Amino acid sequence: MTPSQPHPVLSFRDVHRVYGEGSGAVRALDGVTVDVEPSRFTAVMGPSGSGKSTFMNLAAGLDDPTSGEVWLAGQPLHAMDEDRRTRLRRDHVGFVFQAFNLVPTLTARENVVLPFELAGRRLTADDRARIDGLLESLGLLARAGHRPAALSGGQQQRVAIARALAIGPHVVIADEPTGNLDTRSSREVLSLMRTAADEYRQTILMVTHDPVAASYADRIIVIADGRIVGDHPGLAPAAIADLMVSLEVGAA
Amino acid sequence: MSTAGVRRGLVLGSPRELGTVGLVAGLCGAYAGVLVTASSLLTAMATQTDGQTSAGLMLAVVSTVFILIAVYVSAVVIVNAVDTVVAGRLRQIALLRLLGARPATLRGSVMRSAGAVGALGAVAGAVLGVLATDVFRIVLVHRGTLPGVTYPVTSSFLLAPVATISFMALAAGWVGSRSVLRVTAAQALTGAEGAAPAPDRSTSVVRAAFAIVLMAGGALVLVAAAWLGERGSLAGFLAAFVGAATSGTGLLIGARFVVPRLVALAGRLLGSDPPSRVARRNAVADPLRTTRSTMGLVIGVTLVTTIASGMRALQVSVDSWTGLTAEQRAETHTVLSTMTSILVAIVVISCVISAVGFVSTMSLTVIQRRREIGLLRALGFTGAQVRSMVTKESAALAGTAVAFGLALGLGYGSVGAQSLVGFQTDGFVWGLPWAVLGTVAVVGLLLVLVAAAPPARRAVAIAPVQALHVDR
Ligand SMILES: Nc1ncnc2c1ncn2[C@@H]1O[C@H](COP(=O)(O)OP(=O)(O)OP(=O)(O)O)[C@@H](O)[C@H]1O
Ligand SMILES: [Mg+2]
Repeated sequence: MTPSQPHPVLSFRDVHRVYGEGSGAVRALDGVTVDVEPSRFTAVMGPSGSGKSTFMNLAAGLDDPTSGEVWLAGQPLHAMDEDRRTRLRRDHVGFVFQAFNLVPTLTARENVVLPFELAGRRLTADDRARIDGLLESLGLLARAGHRPAALSGGQQQRVAIARALAIGPHVVIADEPTGNLDTRSSREVLSLMRTAADEYRQTILMVTHDPVAASYADRIIVIADGRIVGDHPGLAPAAIADLMVSLEVGAA
Repeated sequence: MSTAGVRRGLVLGSPRELGTVGLVAGLCGAYAGVLVTASSLLTAMATQTDGQTSAGLMLAVVSTVFILIAVYVSAVVIVNAVDTVVAGRLRQIALLRLLGARPATLRGSVMRSAGAVGALGAVAGAVLGVLATDVFRIVLVHRGTLPGVTYPVTSSFLLAPVATISFMALAAGWVGSRSVLRVTAAQALTGAEGAAPAPDRSTSVVRAAFAIVLMAGGALVLVAAAWLGERGSLAGFLAAFVGAATSGTGLLIGARFVVPRLVALAGRLLGSDPPSRVARRNAVADPLRTTRSTMGLVIGVTLVTTIASGMRALQVSVDSWTGLTAEQRAETHTVLSTMTSILVAIVVISCVISAVGFVSTMSLTVIQRRREIGLLRALGFTGAQVRSMVTKESAALAGTAVAFGLALGLGYGSVGAQSLVGFQTDGFVWGLPWAVLGTVAVVGLLLVLVAAAPPARRAVAIAPVQALHVDR
């Protein structure tokens, strides 16, 4: 640990993740090494099937690498048993998945409060205010008492975003959080995440296919065929779009 | 032509899912096999040794009643099993609808599968029941316990229950698959699943009113029976029977209003941490399913407790009689306890059938919630919390059923005894058969654990990533 540089909140060291065996094996991640500094907003981009979701799952300790090391908040995820990983996840990570985010038997608000209960934390007045603020800015206040089955796909996704941000975890991992949203709500979500990084010092890792969404980030990591093929500082939407096109041309 | 594509078993296929239907029909068939064969051998004995012919009819009537009770409990269990399977396959059904399958065709395929497996189970069970009884008889004759007259292998009367059970499975498959009709093709496209369809309000109101009238009327008749018994009127027992049958029917009809509330109440006792909360919500997520998965147990426990409690109350009354010699007293004790054992042994089948149903529903619903459990794991549920969640759901359901059944049975049994011999004692005597109550409670607890252990083990093994894959 060098005192001058901030300790990375997330590190990958030569991580491989192979699905299946023999000739049918898929190398979803193929030697990924990367550090993510605290309170930064990082976008992860790349073609479909390039390994983005696999990368996110490993970062969250939801999946085991085939080889290599994954460090989260200074702890070796690759060397921990499931129970310790569960606790680490509970205490440090918030998620938004690509699909199926909410516990069907709990209302929207109960889903948002769940991480607090799992961490054994009593809701303070501040917590309540933050939760209400999140629900309000995501346009969910009127729907907070509904079960997920009674919400639209985009509403469900916004509830998941509120849940990921509410408890203020160190790391928020979001796999295409704006995938189901219209321009307005997607902008709302993105500025919430920007604020989370700037004001609440949270580290945000977001997969997206949308150049405008990626332009909110201050770092863009590009994955193709399971490898990191690009690592850029914040870019404007047009530059990002060019980048993605060049990637497709390169692949073709 | 559209039927060609939707073959039998397309909707309701895996052996694990159909297993419950076959097993329950099999148990019911075996029970019928044993009862019919046993009564045919008793009849043969009575006619050939004493020249009595009336015993046969009596036995036929009695075993018909018991078999019908078992068939009813099996029907409740099978309806629930089919409904659970269908609920877990909503997406697949919706996809088939999207591809052009007609709802009636899909429902028909569910019904035929249930009917076929049920018929197979009934026949296999009946054959096993007959064989077991005949082997038992041969051993007893060999030992000299039974006279060596000529016995029939069984009675052709057995065809009736086997046909009834097969038809019941078919009908239960039809009733249980009703939700197939409510699945829309659009549901294949939306992520939302498990949305409980809203019940039809107007029929609910009629049903509730009907149930309340029957329950209140039955309860009044039961009070009258107790009073008649105190006065020594012979009409007492008849009134008790009518009262119990009426209020029992009312309870069966109104169970869907009562049972989910009781389960919700029991759920409150579990605690308010996240595992308990999710367990409680799951236990009452679909009121109809909650009712069906517990109703069999309620009936079984009520029957056993009614008999034990009634016999116990009779015993207490006999003990209070003056003018009996010690010998007579001992003799009535023996007679009453033998009768209790025989009757309990005969009705306990309802408990067995409903316990089998309960264990398999618990296991199926947990399998169907793989993704939800994976998500909970991802969010930070530990293995222990997942296990406690499954166990608590099982406890809320089975615990409520057992407690409710015990309370009903104590009431019915004690009123029954009071209506017979109330005039012998001062006031109302509660028959409290501690040994049976204790046994039921312990067996109930075992059931909770047995029903929860395998699904809990499987649930803990679910990796969090499984929540992230849409189709797994
Ligand atoms: N459970 C699995 N078993 C086998 N192969 C898998 C599994 N999960 C993912 N893969 C494969 O690994 C590769 C990377 O998948 P991943 O889900 O990480 O892609 P992605 O970049 O998130 O794609 P998308 O943008 O479409 O979500 C793909 O080729 C995929 O088919
Ligand atoms: Mg993905």
